[in-house]
Amino acid sequence: MSALPAFTRTGAAVREAGRDARLAWGPGAWLALAAFALAALAPFVLPSSVRLDGLAQTAYLALAAVGLGFAVGIGGMPSVAQGAFVGVGAVAAGHLIGSGVPPLLAALVGALTAGCGGVLVGAAVVRFRPVFVVAATWLATWLFAFTLEALPSLTGGARGLTVAPGKIARLEPTATLHYELALGLVAVALLAYRALAGSSFGVRLRAAGQRPAAAVALGVEAPRLRLAAFAGAAAVGGLAGGLAVQLDGVVDPEAYDAFLSFTLLVAVLIGGAATALGPVVGVLAVAALSLAADVLARLTGAESARFGPMLAALLVLSVLATGSEGIVPAVARRIRRAGRQERDHGMELRRPDAATLTAGGLHKRFGELVAVRDVALDLRSSSVTALIGPNGSGKTTVLRLLAGTLPPDEGSVEFDGRPLTAASAGDRVELGLVRTLQSNAVFPALTALENALVGASLRRRYGGALRALLATPKARAEARETTARAQAALAAVGLQERADIVAQELTGSEQRLLMIASALATRPRILLLDEPSAGASGAELQRLAAILERLSAEGLAVLAVEHNLRLVRTVADEIVVLHAGTMLASGTPEQVAGDPAVRAAYLGRQSL
Amino acid sequence: MQFLLQVVVSGLAAGLVYGLVAVGHSLVFRLTGTVYLALGDVIGLGIFTTLLVAAGTGPVTQTSVATGRFLLALAVGVLVCVAAGAGGYLFAVQPFLQRGSTLGWVGGTLALAFAIHAAIESFFPRSGYVFPDPIPFRRIGEAGFVAAGDASFQVRTIYVGGVALVLAALSAWAINRTRSGRGLQAIASEREGALVVGVPVERLVALAFGLAGGVGALAAITAAPSAPVSADTGTLLGVKGLAAALLVRFGPAWLALAAGAAYGLLEAAIANVSLGDLELGPEYSAAIPLALVLLLLAIRPPREAFEDLE
Repeated sequence: MSALPAFTRTGAAVREAGRDARLAWGPGAWLALAAFALAALAPFVLPSSVRLDGLAQTAYLALAAVGLGFAVGIGGMPSVAQGAFVGVGAVAAGHLIGSGVPPLLAALVGALTAGCGGVLVGAAVVRFRPVFVVAATWLATWLFAFTLEALPSLTGGARGLTVAPGKIARLEPTATLHYELALGLVAVALLAYRALAGSSFGVRLRAAGQRPAAAVALGVEAPRLRLAAFAGAAAVGGLAGGLAVQLDGVVDPEAYDAFLSFTLLVAVLIGGAATALGPVVGVLAVAALSLAADVLARLTGAESARFGPMLAALLVLSVLATGSEGIVPAVARRIRRAGRQERDHGMELRRPDAATLTAGGLHKRFGELVAVRDVALDLRSSSVTALIGPNGSGKTTVLRLLAGTLPPDEGSVEFDGRPLTAASAGDRVELGLVRTLQSNAVFPALTALENALVGASLRRRYGGALRALLATPKARAEARETTARAQAALAAVGLQERADIVAQELTGSEQRLLMIASALATRPRILLLDEPSAGASGAELQRLAAILERLSAEGLAVLAVEHNLRLVRTVADEIVVLHAGTMLASGTPEQVAGDPAVRAAYLGRQSL
Repeated sequence: MQFLLQVVVSGLAAGLVYGLVAVGHSLVFRLTGTVYLALGDVIGLGIFTTLLVAAGTGPVTQTSVATGRFLLALAVGVLVCVAAGAGGYLFAVQPFLQRGSTLGWVGGTLALAFAIHAAIESFFPRSGYVFPDPIPFRRIGEAGFVAAGDASFQVRTIYVGGVALVLAALSAWAINRTRSGRGLQAIASEREGALVVGVPVERLVALAFGLAGGVGALAAITAAPSAPVSADTGTLLGVKGLAAALLVRFGPAWLALAAGAAYGLLEAAIANVSLGDLELGPEYSAAIPLALVLLLLAIRPPREAFEDLE
């Protein structure tokens, strides 16, 4: 086996990465590089009255905050436990250094320990609603504080655990070295944040945070993704703690109490949780506050520790009261420019193979109410089936039974002749059975393209956090393919010109089309639509009808719950009429329109 | 056996105070779907305002405060506490609820909590303050302790438990029998519906936040002379009350009270009881119950903790 092909491939990948970097390089990147260079020079140009160890501590704090920012802003988990993870890293590293482990290795093991702690806490909270995440992580923070109190041997008792500073990579562990190390790590963390936030991993995480139900409908496995984000954030906090403790020279249990968790959350909040730079700016703001607290203390003769929390509280409340989502997003909004990516719509969306979905004898009761009684459906490729009926007749319930978000009491659903009974909603999306939700369930803070990417990222094999972070050639190739498929899905519903618009700024009917696009991006073979025309005007109805007809012509099987009979008449090959949970009639539009029972029960005043 | 009785009495007395804080947490959660992270420090504010008005910031002995001044101080302390609780809702919770911003109310209530904590510490920097006791329990028995068989317990603890039960009964009465209480129940079950039928939602919820703080503060002040108080006293009450409330899934008032009592009992048991060779001691009394609550939450999470996936 020759190593040459591998080298060639690697070389090509590096060249490609360089080209991508050149393409993405702009004034913002120059600005960031200049800021970083200036910050790196700071220890050598600042007057000696500036305390370098304070600067280094601030930089380590920023590192922990960037980790938290990812869990909060991208992962959607408002954690109040990051300070405890910093503490876990510090305690672990402190003990290891005491037993002669090299400093960097000790810090890494500290990070690993904190990451394991993150897995433990995360395993509990990743399925929780935000308010329970807050409660659980808040209690976890206190549990850590109580544990340190209960086990004084962990922190060396009353005198504290002294950590003898060792050489880091053969260099004296001065404050300057720690500062430069921390700054480098912050830069790496920021780049990682940006890479992950833009990857399909990040897009799916953000989608799950904004509309959990809609994300599940597109096959997003939110708990798994969140666990990775939460544990990763904890590990970054642990790394910051494991290094900062070497600068401190002592493990001080009071340094990792609830106030540290609060400070980190404040930094993320005032800087802006959903941006990479936000937490760093937030930490700088907090550091500026503590300087202000020192000044106040000198003026009044009181202890400065008293003013810090009060000023922080004031700052948080005033930033929050303005209604902004933090400093960085507010600034970014002013200088945002239009995207300038090239679009590629030539992607094949449809899966070539035909599919059938057969449901029979479906029953569903909610207590006394029989919502669905003995419903049978047969969906085939290249056909549009309309499910109609008055409000409360069980149409949406039928969709949920088919999509797997609701188990039937009786009856079977078969996909290509294989029973789906045991398949979860996510499994079914993967097989090619996807549905849209009734309300406007787009992900409001994602752009149209990112909305489609949530669906397009299904079945990614190299889409995990680690691969996205390392930008392996496979992951990059796959990411390009995923983006192309998302663009094709947007084009399929005519939204290609709106790709960079944030979903909540789209019109109501565009949002409904976007839902269809996200579903299409999963490359379904069977598409279940819940009232795609709700509130649409005449022109919009025509557009929708054209889209449905084209999808059907391309081989998709479409089942649409629909109220608008004009649309139904235009596009449906087959109509199923539900009334009080039972099937009143089914057949071609002509057959159904001629059915006397249908006329009597439902269509009395309106003819097809 | 007698020793056990002693543990039970002291554990129940502390636990019933946690229980009242848990009632406050449950009420707030069911009304707004938020966790009132500042509740403990708001209660701490009540304790220290009372102390400030009764005796200033200087050293106090238990006997040095006249009953009249103490009652005045108590009234001021509880009022400040109610005002802080209601103000907390109006400034740190409500604006963010309207925007649907979880981070907002988390940041807001935490900011309020730490600001109050820092303010208390700047007036009362020492790690423990004696709280004046207007009722001369120390004259009963031997310096306030009575013996029952081999066991002896502080008479105060029975008084604290009794006051907590009375407060709980009053709260339950207020929620079930008064008009405002029924309004609150309406808001908890269907906020929009309550608005439509003319329930003054914002005013009542602010009142509930205030009462959660006020009732908790009354109980905490009743218990305060039993042990030295510090700025952390209130904070810890808030944390333990939240743990108890979470244990019963922010359930109805009596359940929350019972959970608090159980929590206090467990703490007292861990601090005092030895089972064979296993002897834990007071240093573990804070960590173990909290660890158990979190473990339970992880293993058997309540349904309402999960995201709504449909």
